[in-house]
Amino acid sequence: MEKKMFKNLFVFLAVLIAANSDVRSAEKEIKVGFISAFTGVFSSFGQQQKEGAVLALEEANYTAGGDKITVIYEDDQLDNEQAVTKAKKLVVQDKIDILTGLVSGDEGLSVGDYMKDKNIPVIPMYSASEDMTMRAFYPMIVRATWTGAQSMDVFGYWLAKVKGWKKIYAIGEDYSYPYNQGGGFKRGFFRGGGEEVKTVWHPVGTTSDFSSIIASIPTDQGYNAVLYNGAGGDAVNFVKQYVELGMLQKIPLIGQSNTFEKPDVESMPADIVGSLSAHHTADDLATPAWTKFKEAYHKRWGHDPSAASEFAYSSMRLILRGIDRQKGDISDKPALVKAMTQVDMSDDPRGPVALDPKYHSAIENVYIREVAKDDKDQLYNKGLWTVKNVGQFGPYDPELYLKQPPDTGSYPPDTPSAFAPEMLKAASEYQYIPFGQ
Amino acid sequence: METKLLILILNGLTQAAIFFVLGSGLTLAFGLMRVINLSHGAFYLLGGYIGYSVVHATGNWPLALIAGGLSIALLGFLFERTMLFRVRGGDLPETLLTIALSMIIADVSLAIWGGHPLTLNVPAYLNPRVTIFGITYPGFRYLLMGISVFIALSLWLILYQTKLGAAVRAGVDDRETVSALGVNIDAIYSLVFVLSALLVGIAGVLGGSYLQLSPGGDTTILTYSLVIIILGGMGSLLGTVVSSLILGQLLSFGLAYAPQYSYFLIFVPMAIVLAIRPQGLFGREL
Amino acid sequence: MSVVWKDLRRLVLGVVAGGLLILLPFYAGEYTVTTFVRIIYFGFLALSVGMLVGQAGMISLTQTAFFGLAGYVIGLLGAERGMPFPWRDLIAIAAVLVMALLFGLVAMRTHKIVFLMITLAFGQICWAFAQQNTSLLHGWAGIRGIRPPAIAGINFNRTSNFYWASLLIFALGILVLRLLARSSFGLALNGIRENPRRMAALGYPVYWIRVAAFLIAAIYAGIGGLLATYNTGIITPTTIQLSRTIWVLLMVILGGSTYFWGPVVGTAVAVWLDVLLSEGTERYNTVIGVIFVFVVLFLPGGILSISDSLRDGRGFPFWRRLYARKNSG
Repeated sequence: MEKKMFKNLFVFLAVLIAANSDVRSAEKEIKVGFISAFTGVFSSFGQQQKEGAVLALEEANYTAGGDKITVIYEDDQLDNEQAVTKAKKLVVQDKIDILTGLVSGDEGLSVGDYMKDKNIPVIPMYSASEDMTMRAFYPMIVRATWTGAQSMDVFGYWLAKVKGWKKIYAIGEDYSYPYNQGGGFKRGFFRGGGEEVKTVWHPVGTTSDFSSIIASIPTDQGYNAVLYNGAGGDAVNFVKQYVELGMLQKIPLIGQSNTFEKPDVESMPADIVGSLSAHHTADDLATPAWTKFKEAYHKRWGHDPSAASEFAYSSMRLILRGIDRQKGDISDKPALVKAMTQVDMSDDPRGPVALDPKYHSAIENVYIREVAKDDKDQLYNKGLWTVKNVGQFGPYDPELYLKQPPDTGSYPPDTPSAFAPEMLKAASEYQYIPFGQ
Repeated sequence: METKLLILILNGLTQAAIFFVLGSGLTLAFGLMRVINLSHGAFYLLGGYIGYSVVHATGNWPLALIAGGLSIALLGFLFERTMLFRVRGGDLPETLLTIALSMIIADVSLAIWGGHPLTLNVPAYLNPRVTIFGITYPGFRYLLMGISVFIALSLWLILYQTKLGAAVRAGVDDRETVSALGVNIDAIYSLVFVLSALLVGIAGVLGGSYLQLSPGGDTTILTYSLVIIILGGMGSLLGTVVSSLILGQLLSFGLAYAPQYSYFLIFVPMAIVLAIRPQGLFGREL
Repeated sequence: MSVVWKDLRRLVLGVVAGGLLILLPFYAGEYTVTTFVRIIYFGFLALSVGMLVGQAGMISLTQTAFFGLAGYVIGLLGAERGMPFPWRDLIAIAAVLVMALLFGLVAMRTHKIVFLMITLAFGQICWAFAQQNTSLLHGWAGIRGIRPPAIAGINFNRTSNFYWASLLIFALGILVLRLLARSSFGLALNGIRENPRRMAALGYPVYWIRVAAFLIAAIYAGIGGLLATYNTGIITPTTIQLSRTIWVLLMVILGGSTYFWGPVVGTAVAVWLDVLLSEGTERYNTVIGVIFVFVVLFLPGGILSISDSLRDGRGFPFWRRLYARKNSG
C-alpha cells in the first residue's frame, strides 16, 4: 500500500508537470489581464465592469494598433489573497502586457503592491482607494477613473456652503473605500462651514437588520441629514429600513457615491425620491457621448449602464487608444504608460476626462444628483449641478494634502476643531454650474 | 429615550422571529438525524430568490411565501432521498455532501439572479404603519413575529400532540429504540429533513422581504443558524426559542451601542455556553 | 518479491520523485513553481486537518484560524514593527500554540459532531474579530507588504529560492508527521479514534493526548500560514473565512482522509483543479461542487482508495458502490 501510494504520487506529479509546461504562442497579440470579483459579495460590480469593458473591446473589434487584443478574465471573489495569486498567475504564466479590472480599494492596493516591480502597466477601474495614485503611487499605474474622496469633497462643500447644513450623522461600512469617501466628505463639509459629521461604522456585509442603528439616530439634536456611507446589499437594507421606520420624515437621507447607484436603486422604495448624492456620472446626462454609450450599452446588455460599467468602458478605451498611439509597439512599457496619459479622453461618455501628468489620476466632472422617478416608475439619479475639472486633490495643495494622514475609520475626526487648520483654508473654490449647461 | 429602548426591543424580537424560523428546522433535523445541514444558508437564499421571482411575476406575496417554502421542501426531499441517505451515519460524508450542495446552489443562483441585491416587494396591505403606545413600527414586522409564533405553536403541536411527534421525540432521545418499536425511521428522517427545508425556504422569503438577498448571504445566514442551534442546544425546540430571543436582543442592542463589534458580539454567549455546558442551554448530552 | 527488492524499488521511486520536485524550477515555468508553493502551504493546512480527521477522528473547522493567526503575527511584528527573522516567526508559532492550547482545553471535552460545531464556531469568532478589528488588524484591508527574509545572503523573494525553502520545510514536516504516526503516541491516537472509552479504561490520558494532537496540528497550520503570508505578501480576514476552511476539508477528503498521503494528494489535485477550472468557466464553483458530490457518493475513500480497490481486485470503487446499492436496496 505504501509503495502504491508513492508511485501514484509520482505519476501524478509527472502528469501535472507535463500538463503545465509553458507553451508560448507565436501569434502576435497583446494580452490584457482582467482581475475582478465575478462571484461573491461584489459580483454585481464585477459583472458591470466586465460588461463595460467588453463593449469597448467589441467596438474596437478586439484590435488596437493593428494587433489582436486578448483579455484573460480572472475571478478573485473579492479575496485579496486570491487577487494577488491571480495577478501572479497572469504575470508569470500568461505573460500579460497590461493589467486592469480591480473593483475594491483593498483589492487594488494589494494587487498594486504585488505589481510594483513587474514593469507592467496597471489600469485600475473601479478601485477607488486614493493611495493608489497618492501615497502608494508608482509610475506604472494609470487610473483614469476616481478616488473615493474626489466626488465627496465636492458634495460635502456644497451641502455646507450652499445648503447651509451644519451637522451630519454618517453611518458607514467599516472598510477602506467608505473611509476615503467619508474623509473626502468631511474635508469638504468642514471647509464649507460644517460643524460636525458624527460617524458610526458597522461591519460590512454581515449586518442585515439596521433598524437598531437607525433607532439610535438622535432626532432632536439638529442633524441636517443622515449620510449612508455604504453600497450594494447593505445600502438596499439600510435605505429600506430607514424608510419603513418612518425616519425619512424626520431627517433627510443622503448617500455616498455608490449608495443609490443603478441597479441597486431599483430595489429601493420610491419614497427616497429627492435623496442627494455625488458621483462622476448621472443617469440623465444629455451629451451625445453619454447618449451614444447608453444606447449601445442597453442594446448589448439589455439594461442601463452604471458608473462601474462606464468606468470600465472608459478605462478599456484608454488602454486601446494608448496602444493605438504606440502603433501596436508596446515593448517599451514606460512609453506605453506615457502614451496612455496623453490619450485624448475629451469624448468620454461621463464628460471630458484629463489625466494628471504626475500622479496619473483623473481630472473630471463631478455631478451632484438626486434620486428621481422616470416615466416607467424606475428610480434613477438625476443631475442637479456640475463641477468641472475636479482632480484627486480637489482644491487642496497636493503637498499639503499628502502630509495629512491617510483616511481611516478614526481619521479625519468628527469635528473641524481637531482638523489641520490649513486644510480648511484651501484657496480655490468649486464652481457649481446648473446641470446640463 | 424610552421610545428608543422599546424600538430596540421590537427590533430584537423581529430578529428573533427570523432566527427561530431559521433554527427550528435545523435543530430538529440535527437532533434526530445528527446531520449538520451546511446547505441551510444556501436553501435560505434559494427560497428567497424563488419567492422573489414569484412576486415579480404575479405580485402575490402570500403565494411567494408558499412557493418559496414548498420548492425548498421539494429540493430537500430530492436531496435527502437521492443522496444524503446513501451516506447516512458518516459525519464526514454527510457534512461534505451538504457543503458541496451549497456551493452548487449559491453558484447557480448567482448565474440566474445575478449579483446585485434583490428584495421582495411586500404589498402595502401587509405592511401598514402600526402605532402602538405611541411607537410607529412597520406592520410587516409584527406579521413576521406572528408567523414565527404560529410556526412555533404548530411545531409544538406536532411534536407533543401527535403520534408522529412522539416518534420524532423518541428518535431524538434514542434512535435505537425507535427502530426497535417498528417505526419506519427512514420515513421519519425524510419527513424531518423536508420539514427543516420547508421552514428555511419560508425563512428565505420572509428574510428577503424585510431585508435583501444577495450572494454571500448564504454564509452569513448559515453562521447565524449554527450559532442559534449551538446556543439553544441541538435538538431542542425550546432551546431554539430561548437562543433566538437572546441573540435577537443582543444583535439589536449591539448594533445600537457597539455597531463595530455587533457581529462579533453574537458569538460571545455561544463561547461562554460552550465552555460551561457544551451541549447548549437546553440540549442533551451527545 | 523479496522484501529487499520492495524496499529498493521504493527507494528508487522516492529518489526520482524527490529529484523531480527539487529540480522543478529548472524545467518548469515560473507559474508551475508558484503553484507548487501554493500546494505546499495549503498542504501544511491539509496535513493539519488530515491528521486530526484521519488519525484522531476529530473534524476540526478551526485550523485556518491558526493559519491566519501566524500570518497576522508576522504582519504585525515584521511588516509593521520591523522585528527581524526568526523572532517574529517564532513568536507567531508560540502565539498559535497558546491559542490552540486555550481552545483545545475547551474543545477536547466534546466529541464528534459537537466538536465539529464548536470548532466551526471558534473559527467564525476569529474571522469576525479579524474582520471587525480595525485598530490593530485593519479589518477588511488586512496587512500588506509582508516580505520573506533574506537569510545568509539568499534572497527568498525569488520564486525558486522560496520554493526550495518551502519544499525543505515541507519534507521535514512530513517526516516528523510520519514518525509521529508510527510512534506510541500515534497508535494511542488511532486507538482513541476507534474507541475512546476503552483507551481511557486502559489508563491512557485520553483528554491530554487529544489536546497534544490538537497542538501539533495547530503548529502545522501555523507553518502553512507563515509560508502563505510570505508568498502573497498580505494577510486579510478572507484567509480565515468559512469557505476557505471548508475548502481545506474538501481537499483532505478528496485525497483520502485515512491515507497518510491523502491530504497532500488532495491539495495538489484541488489546487490544480481550481487553477484550470477558474480559467475555463465562470461557473467553476458549480463544477467543483458537482465533483465533490461525486467523490463523496462514489469515492468516499478519496483518490488514493482507487489504487487499493484495483489491487484487491474489487474493481473501480465507483462501480462497486453503484452495484452494492442496487443489491441492497
